[in-house]
Amino acid sequence: MLRGVPASLFNVLFYPHEPLNDRMRNSRLSLSLAVAFVSGLLWSSMPTSTLAQKQNSESPNATPAQSVEPVVDIPPPPSEQADVSEINFGAIVRVEVDTKQPNYRVPWNIGGMGNGVGTGFLVGDNRFVTNAHVVSNNRLIYIKKTNDPRPYKARVVNVAHDCDLALLEIENSTEFKTAFSGVEPLVIGDIPKLNTTVIAVGYPIGGERISVTRGVVSRIDFRPYSHSGVDFHLTIQVDAAINPGNSGGPVLQDNKVVGVAFQGYSGAVAQNTGYMIPVPVVERFLKDTADGTYDHYVDLATQTLNVLNPAQRIALSLPNDDVGVMVTEADPAGPAGSILKTGDVLLSIDGHVIASDGFIEIEGERVNLNEIIERKFAGDMVALEIWRDGARQDLKIELERFLPYLIQANTYDKQPDFVLFAGLQFQPLDRNLMAAHNISDLQVRYFYSYYSSEGLYRERPEVIILTAVLPDSANTYLQPYVHKVIDTINGKKIRVLQDVWDALHGDFSEKGHEDFHVIRCLGEGRPLVMERATAREAHDRIMAKYNVNFDNHIEVPEILSVEGLFDDIDDDASDKDDTKEKKQEKSAKSAPEAIKSASAR
Amino acid sequence: MMKSSFTSFFAGRSFLLASVLVLFGLLVPAGLRAQEKPSPEKSLVRVNATLQSYNFLRPWEKSAPTPRRGLGAVLSGNRVLVTGELIVNSTYIELEHPSTGEKTPARIVGHDYEANLAVLAPIDESSKLMDELVPLEVDTSVAPKDTVEVWQVEDNGDGVITKVDVQRAAVNQYFIDSAVFLVYQSIGSLQARANSFTLPVIKDGKLGGMLLSYNAKEQISQVLAGPIIQAFLDDLAEGEYQGFPNLGIGFEQTLDDQLRRFARIDGKEGGIFVTNVQKNSSADKAGLESGDVIMAIGGHAIDSRGNYVHPTYGKLNFSHLVRGNAKVGDKIKIAIIRNGEPQDIDVTLERKEPNDYLIDAYMFDRGPRYLIMGGLIFQELTLPYLESWGENWDTRAPFKLVHANAHPEQYEDEGREKLVFLSQVLRTPSTLGYEELNSVILSKVNGQAINNLKDLSKAFTMPDEKGIHKIEFTDFPRVIYIEDRTSRAVNQQLVQYGISQMEKLD
Repeated sequence: MLRGVPASLFNVLFYPHEPLNDRMRNSRLSLSLAVAFVSGLLWSSMPTSTLAQKQNSESPNATPAQSVEPVVDIPPPPSEQADVSEINFGAIVRVEVDTKQPNYRVPWNIGGMGNGVGTGFLVGDNRFVTNAHVVSNNRLIYIKKTNDPRPYKARVVNVAHDCDLALLEIENSTEFKTAFSGVEPLVIGDIPKLNTTVIAVGYPIGGERISVTRGVVSRIDFRPYSHSGVDFHLTIQVDAAINPGNSGGPVLQDNKVVGVAFQGYSGAVAQNTGYMIPVPVVERFLKDTADGTYDHYVDLATQTLNVLNPAQRIALSLPNDDVGVMVTEADPAGPAGSILKTGDVLLSIDGHVIASDGFIEIEGERVNLNEIIERKFAGDMVALEIWRDGARQDLKIELERFLPYLIQANTYDKQPDFVLFAGLQFQPLDRNLMAAHNISDLQVRYFYSYYSSEGLYRERPEVIILTAVLPDSANTYLQPYVHKVIDTINGKKIRVLQDVWDALHGDFSEKGHEDFHVIRCLGEGRPLVMERATAREAHDRIMAKYNVNFDNHIEVPEILSVEGLFDDIDDDASDKDDTKEKKQEKSAKSAPEAIKSASAR
Repeated sequence: MMKSSFTSFFAGRSFLLASVLVLFGLLVPAGLRAQEKPSPEKSLVRVNATLQSYNFLRPWEKSAPTPRRGLGAVLSGNRVLVTGELIVNSTYIELEHPSTGEKTPARIVGHDYEANLAVLAPIDESSKLMDELVPLEVDTSVAPKDTVEVWQVEDNGDGVITKVDVQRAAVNQYFIDSAVFLVYQSIGSLQARANSFTLPVIKDGKLGGMLLSYNAKEQISQVLAGPIIQAFLDDLAEGEYQGFPNLGIGFEQTLDDQLRRFARIDGKEGGIFVTNVQKNSSADKAGLESGDVIMAIGGHAIDSRGNYVHPTYGKLNFSHLVRGNAKVGDKIKIAIIRNGEPQDIDVTLERKEPNDYLIDAYMFDRGPRYLIMGGLIFQELTLPYLESWGENWDTRAPFKLVHANAHPEQYEDEGREKLVFLSQVLRTPSTLGYEELNSVILSKVNGQAINNLKDLSKAFTMPDEKGIHKIEFTDFPRVIYIEDRTSRAVNQQLVQYGISQMEKLD
């Protein structure tokens, strides 16, 4: 999987959140705006309230990082499949979804109800492919056949938010058998050639019945997938009039599926530009889920720098052969963290020679070296030939998922985590939170931007923010500290949300201040203090007054499951008297110099 | 009619004004005045300055020169007092006689940009320009409810006197955002004349203050206070100028009852909660700590908002006790409560110059330091550099640098004096492959820690035996290499290209 901006000069094997440089940073900024803009117009008829919200939250003037294609003289496309009557319409279904949008601002509320329509298609025995965004945050899913009035209740078998695909089934298999008897699944084809005709079939806005639109394949490229907001994969750009509701629908050529329609721009930005998920991504998803579980894309989580400068080659004692990219950093939470070092040069990947601009050749095509990782699954090995200390070495790395980058990903199908205590609302930092609370605090922005790239997750797997103070006489002076990062509560270091709950309800206190709850925010000299008796009394009063039904929802963050990363954090006893030495040791561990020592996994 | 042309004038910090307004019905009987008595005609001069600011994004350049016109208050000894911002980054200053129009070039005798004050004198000591003029004395007695005069001069040299009423005294910023001092807030309608900077505020024929800003809509003016002028002049008269001391603490109010009980100051009056103590500041050296509650400074009780009761001005922020009432070297007693126990701490007041901080909060009269090596441009981070990114610089400037400015502690702890960073890369044969790098903080060059630009200049004299420089950063790309020979050749070309200097280290 490729994440990040595939810039011409730097290979980015994972999403580099720190500003590599400003031109890139700016382009990333505008890119993310564009992506979010698109996400308001995903190709399912989103509930209008959601649409309005998303559009309001983004600047309408945002210009996407979409370059203008030069006008070139292209011969008219060969008209393949002129006859639409051959299309297997029976296998293409309408997916109607009732949704529940979680409310990150008021996390105990059940959230807004809405509904939407997308398209899906039969790929096997009671298996329908659609987009993840069509069925995200669903309460109820119905599948409807063309020419059949009956809605069939369906459920999600697998969902892949990182590539915007989902697999559905009709709940009652007998119903499926009856309704789809004689219906053949669609056949999956291949990557269509540029400038060939394709047909998008689906249930877009503008009517109830199935719609067919024709377009031409205009570009094949790595693009951001706006559903998650952080993932990049191969996409195919089509000039067909793909519209909301087309989402999840097949794009056909010669009656074979060549893609799944999934995103585009609004008319104001670029016209007649739709994107489809191409066959390699769809097939990877189907293969990954063949065992019933989805294991996600894997990631080398390694940043590299092109080796174009003659001085680099001399310093690294590299032959002058235009081969190799230099490792700048391998994230310790990624599979290469304990293996690759700063200054290593990657010479080849799975036998493909890596050019000094980070490209490799596969089947005659020059592609980014990430293409190799893109095609792999969790647990697969990748073979690297590297140059270290003036000599060649062969390495094998077992690929796995990389989790820290997900702090910047849109999250779905999840109830917001929070702890409410005496009107103080604590929530872990993620993209949904940033969007809901509109946080501009510098410290929070720092944690959000550098959580992954600076390894901030090692000290704080969850960054806990005081997101609101529900005003009451018990906390009226604490309002100015909203949006601060919580460092300790009652002497307990806050590393995950559970710590907040434990610190406030367990046997923790600051020495000499046993009658107080003492909350210390990062970089704030003034602690937030509440007398325990006052807080206890206020808690129930505030719950009743502000219509709060329950005062916490806590899930263990997935990142804690990364082996070997957090061995040092579950020792609560050591928290209370955190000596100076210990603190230094900890900060040294998160420092970049310590990567080597910390990577004994 | 006058009001409309006023709206943009006085409102902000810069009072550029070029418009000439017609005067109605104001007659100043200059001839009736006794010669010795100060008057606008006799005690003010025009000051014409040419300013040229430095370009922090292209540090070898200066921007286009701009004129700035103001008034100066004549002091004894052929000296002229002006506001600092009138002459900031000036390349040329001249004094102009208000009625004869005679001009003479002037030099800066002393200045303090934080206090927004400067003293000028004719370069030619034999200049007769000021011979006929009557010096002003400084008055430090202006108080709320006083009526004072704002003096201006017409184009023809006639004086204009406008009366304004002083409403209150407060502590507010002058010119530099981070520096606050005593101001008088006064109310009364003012009319613009040709010279907008440095309008003297006069009480009983003495200089009681100088106008800082005027809000035409509210008709409220902020006046730089006489006591600050007096302190500045006294300091200057003593020889080497020391400037105003700073304590170096951050604090918060203690209105929160629960916080008061937590800090064990319940049952007592007032107090402010110290939230941080700047490293090597006066407070730090005296042993003040975060978490202390300051109850009194120099015998003045501090209330829970941070004010004390001044005999003349009433409630006033405690900072006036440090910056205004005291001098560098003064000892001041601070009564604190630490862990519930009252204590007295003797603080010797010192001053940290902007250059003493990791990141300079302001920089005038000299350009930013920089070093160019083969097209890599290195700079020391300053607040003016960040501000060069425009109005919303805190979101537009490189975030890592913005964050460093807000949280310099980590870098200070590493022993850095200045934060050296690669600001941009010019495309040259030496920088092939690095063109898109910028805004990355340097850690080492050729194995040497880089704590300021001089370190960097020195480190670049030590390439390895292959003639390669190794440049390490705190972030991506971690390490790059350049060739010494190619880079020096590129430097030569850049000189030909028009960048006159490859480094500016002082």
